[in-house]
Amino acid sequence: MAADEAASLYQAFVDQDPASAIQVVERARASGVAQDALFDTLYAPAMALLGGAWASGAIDEIAFAQAAVVAEQVGSFVMPSAARRDTGVTVIVGTMHRDHHSIGHTIVAATLKEAGFRVNDLGVDVRPSDFLERVEETGARIVIVFAEMMQTARAALRVREMLLASGREGVVILVGGGPFSADAALAREVGANGVIPGAESAVKLVSRVAADLAAREAGES
Amino acid sequence: MRERSTTLAAAESLARQGAIGAAVAACYEALAIDHRDPLVRALLAHLMLEGDFYDEAITEATAAIELDPDCSPAYLVLGLAYDRRGGMSDQSVLVWHELAEVEPDLVTAHVQLGEAFAAAAFEDEALDSWKRALELDPKEARATYNLAIASLKREGMALALPLFRKAGELDPSQDELFFVLLGVRERPPEPVDPAAVEPNREARLAAAALALRDEDLFTAAELVRLTLDEMADDPQALALSAYVYLKQEATNEAMACALRALSIEPTLDTALYSLGVVYARRTGLNRHAARVFIALAKQAGGQALVHVLLAESLLGLQRYQQAGRAYRLAVRLDPACVRARFGLAAAYLTEGRYAEAQWEIRRAAYYDTKRQGLFWRLYDRYTSGGDV
Repeated sequence: MAADEAASLYQAFVDQDPASAIQVVERARASGVAQDALFDTLYAPAMALLGGAWASGAIDEIAFAQAAVVAEQVGSFVMPSAARRDTGVTVIVGTMHRDHHSIGHTIVAATLKEAGFRVNDLGVDVRPSDFLERVEETGARIVIVFAEMMQTARAALRVREMLLASGREGVVILVGGGPFSADAALAREVGANGVIPGAESAVKLVSRVAADLAAREAGES
Repeated sequence: MRERSTTLAAAESLARQGAIGAAVAACYEALAIDHRDPLVRALLAHLMLEGDFYDEAITEATAAIELDPDCSPAYLVLGLAYDRRGGMSDQSVLVWHELAEVEPDLVTAHVQLGEAFAAAAFEDEALDSWKRALELDPKEARATYNLAIASLKREGMALALPLFRKAGELDPSQDELFFVLLGVRERPPEPVDPAAVEPNREARLAAAALALRDEDLFTAAELVRLTLDEMADDPQALALSAYVYLKQEATNEAMACALRALSIEPTLDTALYSLGVVYARRTGLNRHAARVFIALAKQAGGQALVHVLLAESLLGLQRYQQAGRAYRLAVRLDPACVRARFGLAAAYLTEGRYAEAQWEIRRAAYYDTKRQGLFWRLYDRYTSGGDV
């Protein structure tokens, strides 16, 4: 399939026929080529043919430019999807009450969002009751609490206490911020289930926790 | 023009040659003759800073400013000394502000002022300063790097990464990499005349490369076309074409030429470079860009910027730790690589390592001002009474 379809796509570029080009892409997709593979298996070979045609003089400069415009129009049909698939997992993120340090939680929240998690970002200066309220509203099972000062880090215990008091002992609390990175024991003291040292590890840890929660639920049912 | 003693002139000459110790001794001799000369104090402050004697640099620069509140080189040294000493962001803000007043068109003063504001957690004021720097010079790479860092702090990596890449493209080091790969380090002494080029492949491609180095895209394109007319499957010629198109923002044409070149010679570094840059510019192709830059790193692993380009693609893939490793390698290969320093700062920020991020930004500032020869520019302008 690949070589023929790439040649067809190249021809559509040269003919300045975006409709035919899109048909070629759709045909390839219908034949089972995954979206993430379309660029490599179809588009890139067609572009190489286009470069070769220009180099050999089979098409002139103007035709090359016009074909490149069609290639641009078709580009969005073959690009791997930029956004990751929705994981369906809701995560609540916020920085503790009386703590206005926003960098850590902003970067982690944005990274989790990009990774396909449904992030509920409460911002900075979040009271423990606000975490609980949002858990009740969304049914989230994962809460990430940030704190950059010792006092606010210790106060994260209140989040766990409120969750326990409302009968939500199954909610996983992850903590992040300087005090927790410096002293792993502090996380245990405040009733956290884990520490998030950075954005990339946040994605890995939250994915693992989500998988564990899903497995537990499946086991229970 | 300010009068200078012969002792000061000798100190200056020694300092410009990098003979720090001898220059310091000459400065002290000059001070023995006239201890109220702000020029000597400013020069001595600069020399102290070069030797990492921050407190002494601060003392001498402060003395120079007390003697003449318009002594711009002394402000520069004082600000840099405060920044490099650390923990003096309040004083640093005041000094950079003063320098921006004394030299309102000095772009770096606004960039530094922004960095000082950011270090003191005045983020909005920092943004205003960098925007002012970009008003003065829209191609100011360091201001754009700083905006990228600010964007990362406020909105996360997805929105910051395009700014990092934009800053990178403003940074002349990216073109330098292509010419290093091409083996053309110097600009030609005079413009390339296509009519004077011998009619054979090697001569044409060599001349095309020189023309590209001289930013003469038309001559380069003409010579490459002649080569391709004789042999359409010439990968080197196709790779040069890809770069010509890249420089004209014709990214699809560049991609077509680079892909064709690589279909003939899969490891051709110049083609890998252009293809990687094209992929990096496109949303959704970070994985492809990373793959291409990994291949390029195998061909030219000794070039710091190759690792920077790879690291930027890895940032786009949320592989921040791998990106950090690539940036650290780039910094090891070229400690003065400002782009790698800012990138490493970004990688540190994603790991919550704020102090290390701030340190990298300060090192970037140090190398950037050094690269520009800013002290000597201000010094010469000051000695000439502002006429340079």
